[in-house]
Amino acid sequence: MIEIREVSQAYGVQDVLRQVSVSIKEKRITALVGANGAGKTTLLNVAANLIPAKSGQVFLDGKNISQMENIEIAKKIAVLKQTQHLSMRITVEELVAFGRYPHSKGRLKAWDQEKISQAIAYMDLQKIQDKFIDELSGGQRQRAYIAMILAQDTPYIFLDEPLNNLDIKYSVEMMTILQKLVRELDKTVIIVLHDINFAAAFADEIVAMRDGRIIRQGEAPSIINPDILREVFDHDFHIVRVGTRKVCVYFQPQDMIPQADPG
Amino acid sequence: MRETIVCQKKSRFTSFHKRLGLIFLFLLLLAVSLMLGVDQRVSLHNLLSADPSAWQIFLASRVPRTIAIVLTASGLSVSGLIMQSLSSNKFMSPSTSGTTDAAMLGVLLSFLLLGDQSHLIQMLFAFVFALASTMLFMGILGRIPLREAVYVPLIGMMYGGIIKALSNAVAYRTNALQTLSKIGLGTFNRFTSFAMLYLVLIPLVLAVLYATRFSIAGMGEDFSKGLGLHYKRTVFLGLCVIAVISAATFVTVGPISFVGLIIPNMVTAFYGDDVKKTIFDVMLLGTIFVLLCDIFSRLIIYPYEIAVSFTIGIIGGAIFLVILFRRVRYGK
Repeated sequence: MIEIREVSQAYGVQDVLRQVSVSIKEKRITALVGANGAGKTTLLNVAANLIPAKSGQVFLDGKNISQMENIEIAKKIAVLKQTQHLSMRITVEELVAFGRYPHSKGRLKAWDQEKISQAIAYMDLQKIQDKFIDELSGGQRQRAYIAMILAQDTPYIFLDEPLNNLDIKYSVEMMTILQKLVRELDKTVIIVLHDINFAAAFADEIVAMRDGRIIRQGEAPSIINPDILREVFDHDFHIVRVGTRKVCVYFQPQDMIPQADPG
Repeated sequence: MRETIVCQKKSRFTSFHKRLGLIFLFLLLLAVSLMLGVDQRVSLHNLLSADPSAWQIFLASRVPRTIAIVLTASGLSVSGLIMQSLSSNKFMSPSTSGTTDAAMLGVLLSFLLLGDQSHLIQMLFAFVFALASTMLFMGILGRIPLREAVYVPLIGMMYGGIIKALSNAVAYRTNALQTLSKIGLGTFNRFTSFAMLYLVLIPLVLAVLYATRFSIAGMGEDFSKGLGLHYKRTVFLGLCVIAVISAATFVTVGPISFVGLIIPNMVTAFYGDDVKKTIFDVMLLGTIFVLLCDIFSRLIIYPYEIAVSFTIGIIGGAIFLVILFRRVRYGK
């Protein structure tokens, strides 16, 4: 269980998070949504202790995260940031082996090797495990990073806009993998998403942010609501049902909403 | 599927052979280096028949020189490897980032302030200057956004040039230009003890132990933190390793350029950037390269010899140009 209590953060004089409190439910996908600059990534970074909070606390399984050793946190939380590390030429297998660092401190034992090959097999990367990551397609590379996170063997997985620069096909594949991780491996996934429709389709919980505050949080279907989304994104939304799914239409929604039509 | 497996096996086979070939070449050059010299008493026959004068020369002159080459070469190559990994820039090395020049300034100042001191004092000065200067340079690099990695060695050489100019100015003012030119020559033949070089063993062992950490740090600060690695601590340790190696080799052997730059580039082109995977090959290839250059320097005007730094400068410079053109043409 991760509990964030009244966390504030500022870059210079600019407040990025203002007294944010939220608790993350276990074995669910929680999506952080909001406009650029709403504080999603900062919240993720503070929750993972990548940057310290200016005030407030984060509790990881009951322990104050700021008093925990980095290595202990890394055994519980795996973080995947949006940066692509293409300056380093390493193979898929070496990348996945990095995930064992918090457990092995760089000296891999038989147990670590086992975990590495399990993670590679789970992400179906055996055939390309000796390839360099800069030779892979965007989707393969993203899967390699997920394999690394699996090798890290943490209950919590944090992802910062993992769908950036991914084709539609790979974005869907990525989200499907994350759902599988939650269902099959009991992982708790927290993900910063740009596209509200991916959150609507794949997230269990949505935390909606604006100007450093959490505006709404709850089960995904309850957040996908034109009034709430308007408040969050400062933009008109039209929601349509396709089967049991809710889909947000945010391009020229006035064409679809008669009362919003100025003519 | 079957094809890829066969393919992988084949590539592993040849890389294993490559390594074996390197080790064989290393042993061969080691033997040549040990047997090479003006004194004809040192021959295989005399050594085998336990001739005391042959053994005396062998142990007092040949062995230390060869050990010095091995330690210097593997130290400089490894420090280049770590520097390139930490900065994720293929053009970083002690000689292209002002580290060597700062070590030189340190040694010069120790001469001027304390007189002709023991190697240990000189080394301390060289270490402090090398470390401070490398940290400053990395700090400067962190602040300037560079579009091309090629600019880094250019800036580094300018930075080194400034430090060198400072050394020259200080030496000029204090009538120590002769001392400076004596310090600034890299050779394994100095009739001085190589004892300080054994200090290189400590950072070398540390580098092997911390290899994975240096690789992870090369992936970036956020990436490292996510894995629970103390990024700043690791970078600092890496810089200390580099500074100790640079200082110890500079004080005993003198400035040896290009080794730290070209050797890691040649090895990582084949094996990738994982420090743990490449560190032994880097040491091996570095040693082979310097042994070759040293043997060449001893043979070209036999029975005299030229400073090894000349040979390395010329051959290393040529190899560096090849690497530079390849990188510019085929991307980073």
